[in-house]
Amino acid sequence: MFKTATLEERRRYYREEWSEKDLPKFITDELRMREFGFDHLGHGPNDRYKVFRGKDSLRRFLRYKTPFAAYISVAFYNNPRRRGDWIKSEYVFDVDAKDLPIRSCDCDGVCEICLSEALEIVNNLIDTLESDLGIKNIHLIYSGRGYHIRILDDDIMDSDSELRSEILKYVAGAEVPKLKYGNISEGSGSSYNFEHFSIPIAYPKVFTKRLKYNIQHLKGTEEIDDINKKLLKDIIKNRDLLEDNQWGIFRSKIGPRRYKNMVTGMARVNLATIDAKVSIDLKRILRLPTSLHSKVSMKCVEVKDREWFDPFKSAVPKFVEERE
Amino acid sequence: MVLLSFINPLSEEGQEIVKEKGNLENVFSSNDELIYIATHDKRQNIDDDSLIPESYGDLAIKRIQWYIERKNNKNFNNDDYSYLFNEKITEADVISFHLISQAIATKLSPNSREARFFVESQGKIIEERIVKLPEQERKEIVNRILNQLIFQESINWKFLKELVASKKISLTDLVLDEGNIILDKEDFINRFGNKFKDRAPDRMYDIIIGDSIKELILTKMIMQNTENYLQKIREMSSKIEVHPAISELSEKIAQSISELTSKYSGFYGVGVSEGSMKIGKLIKEAFPPCIATTVEGVSSGGRNDAIVLLLTSFVSYARLYPAIFRNEGVDVKISDIDPNLTITLNEILPLIYEAADNCSPPLFDDQPQEKINITSKLGFGMYENPELDHEGETTWYTPMSCEKIKMHLPQLCRPDKLCAKIGNPLSYYSRAKWLMEKEGKSANNGNSNNNGNSNND
Ligand code: SF4
Ligand SMILES: [Zn+2]
Repeated sequence: MFKTATLEERRRYYREEWSEKDLPKFITDELRMREFGFDHLGHGPNDRYKVFRGKDSLRRFLRYKTPFAAYISVAFYNNPRRRGDWIKSEYVFDVDAKDLPIRSCDCDGVCEICLSEALEIVNNLIDTLESDLGIKNIHLIYSGRGYHIRILDDDIMDSDSELRSEILKYVAGAEVPKLKYGNISEGSGSSYNFEHFSIPIAYPKVFTKRLKYNIQHLKGTEEIDDINKKLLKDIIKNRDLLEDNQWGIFRSKIGPRRYKNMVTGMARVNLATIDAKVSIDLKRILRLPTSLHSKVSMKCVEVKDREWFDPFKSAVPKFVEERE
Repeated sequence: MVLLSFINPLSEEGQEIVKEKGNLENVFSSNDELIYIATHDKRQNIDDDSLIPESYGDLAIKRIQWYIERKNNKNFNNDDYSYLFNEKITEADVISFHLISQAIATKLSPNSREARFFVESQGKIIEERIVKLPEQERKEIVNRILNQLIFQESINWKFLKELVASKKISLTDLVLDEGNIILDKEDFINRFGNKFKDRAPDRMYDIIIGDSIKELILTKMIMQNTENYLQKIREMSSKIEVHPAISELSEKIAQSISELTSKYSGFYGVGVSEGSMKIGKLIKEAFPPCIATTVEGVSSGGRNDAIVLLLTSFVSYARLYPAIFRNEGVDVKISDIDPNLTITLNEILPLIYEAADNCSPPLFDDQPQEKINITSKLGFGMYENPELDHEGETTWYTPMSCEKIKMHLPQLCRPDKLCAKIGNPLSYYSRAKWLMEKEGKSANNGNSNNNGNSNND
């Protein structure tokens, strides 16, 4: 696995294994409004602006061309062949296992460890999208080296990049929660200070959860702005306290000033965990679910049960099992 | 109880007032009742006659003046404008509000800086008026107005998505559950009562939500509605002839704002751009040929310069400060215009990076250090990513002239008709944008800020 697929293997995949029945419904509905892109030689998708009238013509194309990679736009157009007359776009979170700023493995591509950590992160994101923001129609795709959360919620599909980046900040935990809370009934002068961990609801809860995850997955070799070597070491030394959420004690061990640095640094890590460029892009193309990620010889597949999904069971093409 | 329109001039009650008493013939005629209210306000400074609004038109201008003075004048004295916070002024205030809206929407534009000052001033006026109300009345009026603005039982945040997208409200400041913004105490306790271990939930409600989120939402919604109202007037105005009094008022507003901002220009840093050169979304259709070609990706020869020197400076100025060449010599930083770098990080860099990816071979694949060079050309020193702390370590590189481009990157220059009239790609852009606007092509449809050619794994 993780070897580049040969042309012969790609052929076998598209001719013997690929089936249009595996295409998710959210892809086949309105298929003709999307732009397709292909990479035939492994140099990047330069065959763009393709349009298919239906599943049959897509099947014929894939079987005949057996591309190195196949992509579909998140955008829906009235005229997809020229990317003309944009209608709406899916809202996407792209979490790539090989680009995670904090991960507990040492591999230089992807491995079982970072892939399962990416899944855990993605599950957290989806939970927040659903439970806090009430966002519907969320699909999860295993992309071959990470995950795409693809959202087809009507209220967000027609919105611009600004709204998308605001949602991203909330869901990712990319902003340090405010400390000060004003209190009107007690006169305008009075206000309260709260650390994020003393408010177990709403955004502070999201942030606390992301922070805890990061701290528990630190290896100690990370380079994070605002967190120097010594601070990193102390965080790791004291992280057991977070097992039973003793944040107050943890914070006092770290010290208030350094705690602040830690929190700022981690907000940035949270942002870097997701490829924000993808989320705010209204015209991007993403790997087509069911297509082959030839670089690593894995299938791009829809994840049906996100708690138990295992790419090594569900995304390995037959030719890999039969290699050698 | 104060009138609802004291807080929300767009309420039905406000519309009624305008219908009954808003008469365009007396916009600038002396209004004894108004003068009486202003001069009889207990706190009002009456030593200086010019402080007292004499007419509806005058009051309209003073509303905006108050905001600019308050924000910039170190010796600002609120008693110079005390009448603005006197509920007796409600009727006159509502009429002036609608007059300003007319004047700005028809004669200036909903995107002008005048519009921006007006909308911001409206927000501040509401805030201060609310704060000055007695506590019980304050709660009651806020609830009543909110009930008018939000017709549902509980509000889904998506109902306010415009406010979120325009950054008037941050999602992170709201208490959200299943998509709903939690405002009601009982609702709060039902949903979260068992989450608090060491504190009483009702006390936490008072602190976390209390009235502050409600007031925030109310204020921002009225600001947003004011913007929408301007837009609506604008759309209808093409069919109606503008009344001379409205034209006069718009001139006076524009003039008064110009005087004040130049008086306080130190506080505004750059002296906000004038005329057709306004900050706005990037309009790719208005890119000159050289830039359009660069965005599509450049092949190996000249790749670095095209992205790092040409595109980086072009896109950043085009998006943030297209008037740079009119104000040569001023020292401007990106954060003067984009204080949190949101535009820089979400719009400008993605476009540059995308173009870099489109190069063959992709620029960062073999030359990752070019990211640092891009940061440095934006004025943020030699780092991988721009950060406010490093701003000023290098300078924000201004766009190359056509002459320079022709010398260094000749393959990119494929002049078209418009190129003959300009000496710099940025001027091309401003002109092309202006032409597009004149031809009535909306400069802001949903897909103007996409990132073009892109893909990902
Ligand atoms: S003339 Fe100037 S703007 Fe036109 S293509 Fe050449 S360099 Fe670009
Ligand atoms: Zn790994």
